[in-house]
Amino acid sequence: MGFRIFSRDFADRCFTAFSIMSVVLMVCVLVMVLGPMMLHGLKAVFFFGTNEFREMQLAVFGHGDSERIRRENGEIEEARLFVYEAVGRFRRGIDTDHLSDDVRDIYRDYGSYLRDNGVSGERYSTLRARAKVLRDTLQDAFESRDKGTVQRNLQSVLELRDDPDFRGTVIEAYFEKAESYTHVVESVDLSKREQYAKAFDEVQEALSKLFGPRPGELLPALTIDQYGATRWDVVQRELQKLLWIEEWVETEPGQPMVKHRTARKEFFANTDLEPIFDYTEKNLYRLFRPRLTFYWRYFLDESTDGHYFGGCGPEILGTLALTFFSMLFSIPLGIISAAFLVECTSDNIVVRVIRTCINTLAGVPSIVFGLFGMAFFVLFLFPMLGEFGHETLGIFSAETAKNLTKPNILAASFTLGLLVLPVIIRASEEAIRAVPRTYKEAALALGAGQFRTFMTVILPAAAPGIFTGIILSLSRAAGETAPILFTGAIAFGPVPDSILEPTRALSYGSYDIAVGDRLAMLVPHKQYGMVMTLVALVLTLNIIAIWIRSRSSRKLRGI
Amino acid sequence: MKKYLALGMVLLLVSLAFVVAAPREGALLLEGSTTVGPIGDAFAQVFKKMYPDVSITVNKTGSGNGAAALVDGRCDIAMMSRFMKDKEYTKAASGEKPFLPVAHAIAMDGVCVIVYPSNPVKALTREQVRDIYTGKIKNWRELGGPSMNIVPISRDTSSGTYETFEGLVMNKEKMASNVEYVNSNPQAHSRVKATAGAIGYVGLGFLDDSVKALEIDGIMPTRSSIAKGVYPVSRPLFLFTNGYPELGSLVHEFCTFYLTEEGQEIIEAKGFVPVTAY
Repeated sequence: MGFRIFSRDFADRCFTAFSIMSVVLMVCVLVMVLGPMMLHGLKAVFFFGTNEFREMQLAVFGHGDSERIRRENGEIEEARLFVYEAVGRFRRGIDTDHLSDDVRDIYRDYGSYLRDNGVSGERYSTLRARAKVLRDTLQDAFESRDKGTVQRNLQSVLELRDDPDFRGTVIEAYFEKAESYTHVVESVDLSKREQYAKAFDEVQEALSKLFGPRPGELLPALTIDQYGATRWDVVQRELQKLLWIEEWVETEPGQPMVKHRTARKEFFANTDLEPIFDYTEKNLYRLFRPRLTFYWRYFLDESTDGHYFGGCGPEILGTLALTFFSMLFSIPLGIISAAFLVECTSDNIVVRVIRTCINTLAGVPSIVFGLFGMAFFVLFLFPMLGEFGHETLGIFSAETAKNLTKPNILAASFTLGLLVLPVIIRASEEAIRAVPRTYKEAALALGAGQFRTFMTVILPAAAPGIFTGIILSLSRAAGETAPILFTGAIAFGPVPDSILEPTRALSYGSYDIAVGDRLAMLVPHKQYGMVMTLVALVLTLNIIAIWIRSRSSRKLRGI
Repeated sequence: MKKYLALGMVLLLVSLAFVVAAPREGALLLEGSTTVGPIGDAFAQVFKKMYPDVSITVNKTGSGNGAAALVDGRCDIAMMSRFMKDKEYTKAASGEKPFLPVAHAIAMDGVCVIVYPSNPVKALTREQVRDIYTGKIKNWRELGGPSMNIVPISRDTSSGTYETFEGLVMNKEKMASNVEYVNSNPQAHSRVKATAGAIGYVGLGFLDDSVKALEIDGIMPTRSSIAKGVYPVSRPLFLFTNGYPELGSLVHEFCTFYLTEEGQEIIEAKGFVPVTAY
């Protein structure tokens, strides 16, 4: 006897423990998986934006206080001038090809200058010849790696500075160049030029990642490259690349290599470039003016390609449209089918088969629906309807008929609708069945017809249960990727202005960022941001649906 | 009840308004490879600025589906990271509205073999890479590296990158069972970045300081070696159209945009090599 009580007690406790455990597990999953995802996603909306961010917002999307941004940018450009000037000076010592080209151009200009001023004959030849000597001496100076030769050449050029023949002509630029190069030679070790050139390229790249293209430079083709670091965390990451040279060096053959960090400042010691590293590090705040930004327009803005800048407005709109139209299609159909199954049939073999089919459909993988949707709606039904409507009935324009042959929102919504239909039918059926028979009998006894009874008595009484089905299917329709992949979702395109055009969607968008571009690795916050938006959107839709359900059930209870 | 009816009517009207909105001046639908997709995106963005009334849509569902969509008439341009197969050509030429697909090679891409940056191995031959993936070589020690198990990582078998790698490196030999399959280039990259003994392969655009590219058959994957086709695992990227596009049409302009300076700059910025660079 005692044993039986004990074992029953034990089983009870085990049951309690298991249920508590599963609840804890669920909470853990929610907190551990969704929590970090949402936190990372929030970084797409809350972050420290730099002036580059504000500049980008103004130029690309037209948001922001243009007056203030312009004023701030002026100040920032001034602060950056120090870096640009140092880079320019250093470049002169490194990038001598560019100097040689300049010298050649000036020589050519000098020729046309002489001709324009009517100098001709012997005098023209002499002057040209003298200028040519200057040009060649300068070029030799730029190309030489021997400090002595360079200085000698520059000296011989500078000796002619006061020559009356050249005064007031373009040739004066030669003397300026010679002079500035004299300073360069004093500070740069010419034999290291190749080494410097490579390291200098890295510096310039890091600088363009930080500051964007230099003022006056030709704008790059892609929006991504037109702006510097827009976020403070990116600034800090790129600063590390500017300040440190990271190399993997072999310590012993056959052993893993070791990461080795050297300061760029040391590499460029005693050159014109040396001060910019300390300057940038110390004045980072002044150079970027980071400010805590609440980028609420993330939920409205269009995005640039690869979702690098901007938000997910079109995606939200697309998801809403898809969900709305699929519900428009599946809710009436689902409720009517359920009503038919409960009210108008007896429990015979046909109904049982239909019910089994519906249950099976609820378990079919969504990609099967996607492929079905493509084969049936996109490739068969819609083109046929389009052709019929255009050629026979004449109610569709050629444009509409053509749109009907391509993936579009309508096809995707129908596919999604089909996907959630079984869930709605099952839930509605159960809800309608649960309405007490007495309600129906009372209504019929009062003289209401079958249809009227159903609409005014049974449906309102079943509404809370039906809403449960709708809520479940709503979330599913909003989050599915596979059914819309071939029927109406696109990765990039305009905001649709009719339901016969394809659209972007949050679910497919997050998939696209994850697999598509190398940009995805640079903007993880955008990826999480889109997922967060999807979760938040589904949550909002659910809350609205739950609110409606509670209202309708309260009404039912007469409160 | 009346309230709900009114609400329903409003919703219906809204959806009708959606249907009868004005048509656009032109439309262009691109479908296909996830590798070529980013170029499509960027071109589309430039075109959107040039022709604000034209709608250009890009969908990335894989090279195979791109070809199928072009054959079905579901898209105007198919983006493909491999050439069309005979079967696909036959299908296009024998369909209801037969046509010959025309290829436009718009860029070059190299499939780079990458390892964890601390790995001292600098160069491999194609044969060695094949042996790693077929499971004949299992430890980096055999290749002059530290004693560490090799973790080979491959793309999924339906990707164009896999097909290139399989054709040019594997010689159609089967991969061993210990090979890990991942779904995308970013995933392959992050897997190698995080695993000391890993080896994987990604497109040129995915190289950065967190992984190390290896020389293959003594040739480093660089822009010039890929543009010239010297690097052994190089491949061209294609746009396929339904016949050669009508001159002056939007499709024609899109398919020749890679020849412009801006187009080349975009291709380079996206991590590929312009075909016009050499």
